[in-house]
Amino acid sequence: MELRKALYNISALGDLGVETTSEKNFQEKLDSLLHVVLGTFLAGKGAIAYREKPASEISFVARKGFHDLSVGDIDLGPLLAAGRNRPYHPAGNEALAGAGVEVITPLWERNDFIGFVLLGKKFTAEPYTGEDLEMLGMIAHQIAITLKNHALFHHVTEQLEENRKLYEEMRRIYHDTLQAFAAAIDAKDLYTKHHSQRVAKYSVAIARELGWSEHDIEGIYVAGFLHDVGKLVISNEILNKKTPFTPDEMKEMRRHSLLSYKIISQIKFPWKDVEKIVKHHHERLDGTGYPDALSREDLSEGAKILTLADSFDAMTSERAYRKKMDVRKALAELKNCLHKQFDDRILLAFCKVLDKEIRGELPEPDILPHIERGSDLSVISALLEGLIEELSGDSREA
Amino acid sequence: MTTSPFQVTSRLVKDVAIVYPRGYLNNLSGEYLVNECGRHAQAGLKKIVVNFHETDLINSIGISFLLNVMEDLQTAGGTLCFTEMKKVHLDTFEMLGLTKYFLFFPDEEAALTALDARKR
Repeated sequence: MELRKALYNISALGDLGVETTSEKNFQEKLDSLLHVVLGTFLAGKGAIAYREKPASEISFVARKGFHDLSVGDIDLGPLLAAGRNRPYHPAGNEALAGAGVEVITPLWERNDFIGFVLLGKKFTAEPYTGEDLEMLGMIAHQIAITLKNHALFHHVTEQLEENRKLYEEMRRIYHDTLQAFAAAIDAKDLYTKHHSQRVAKYSVAIARELGWSEHDIEGIYVAGFLHDVGKLVISNEILNKKTPFTPDEMKEMRRHSLLSYKIISQIKFPWKDVEKIVKHHHERLDGTGYPDALSREDLSEGAKILTLADSFDAMTSERAYRKKMDVRKALAELKNCLHKQFDDRILLAFCKVLDKEIRGELPEPDILPHIERGSDLSVISALLEGLIEELSGDSREA
Repeated sequence: MTTSPFQVTSRLVKDVAIVYPRGYLNNLSGEYLVNECGRHAQAGLKKIVVNFHETDLINSIGISFLLNVMEDLQTAGGTLCFTEMKKVHLDTFEMLGLTKYFLFFPDEEAALTALDARKR
């Protein structure tokens, strides 16, 4: 009989192990643990009380019976003074005696008191033996570890959530800073108000159409915002000059993409090649651009996107030295400069996304809101359809 | 440990409810057994036979639920019989001192005969 009892106790400890390591949710785990205890000691009533954080209140987290008992009715003094995870028969506590609590076990994990287990009388009405209490002590320690692990996990989860919020806040501040920077750049040139913001948006629209990942899209968005940061170094006289540039002025003006590159190279971005995309936004496929006179195969897709977005916005915006073009003319100009200045895949993506925006297929259009009011969208749409068909043929041939 | 999904069905034989737990009685699904027996007790049936023919495992959690069933039926003044319990489980019940609180029979027929005799 002793051997059978020992085997049953070992089996109960096994049940406890299965439950403590199960993937059940915390409440199911607690309910299961309580049933293991009740079944092991044949107790009709039992409860587990737990304090999730050192400063929080202890409360019942699983119980069978003892429904009229409140944690507030229990004097925690003797519980704290008792041995760690050592069960005892509570004496002199009216609330516990009244509820029928036969055994109480304080739950400790290392130096933290985290709760207690209550057990009512046995179904067989037999008293708890010394062996029972010893076994209950072992079980209590396992329960304490489970509760502590849960508390730690909960704490880590909370910390993660806090970090996520912090990250979002930093990201927001970062983007606000970018926008402030872009506003400072655009404010230098009276004719390029919101230019950086629009270029960023157009670039994002094209990149998304090309299937870029959200991470990479964020990178080109930043590149769009900062591509003209080098203009902060160029004098206002040159930037706002209404007559054609002299060769020296042109040379000075052309410095801005390299200056932008130098300025933003100081920043360690989490996105790939932002500084290179910025540096090459005035390069051309035919190798006649600046500052490095790179040709098609040397240019990244990001640089090609930014080039087209920048040019389209420049064409459709008023400048000190010329009137703005309407969208139809700008599209015709982009097409004229295909292969020399612009990549056909990028122009195709641009046309597709603008066409979708006009058709209302994109809930948050990036390009359409900046097209001049009064433009005949049906004419633009027809033009885009023709371009898309033509460019799709080109792409297939390529 | 893999566990079969635990299911409980029952049938009535005159004024006796025969309850069939199927699968492992080793987790919180044991509540189904408590509920099924409780449902019969609430309907006024005071004799319940639990047939363990298709119950291969009863652990500490399962015993906790069986005690629950017994307590509920005791409160209602009823009788609980177990049939076709595996020897290993019967030995455990004996070791735990529970055999004097439940009636054990080899099969349903024996349980029904005994319950009928008690009535008379």
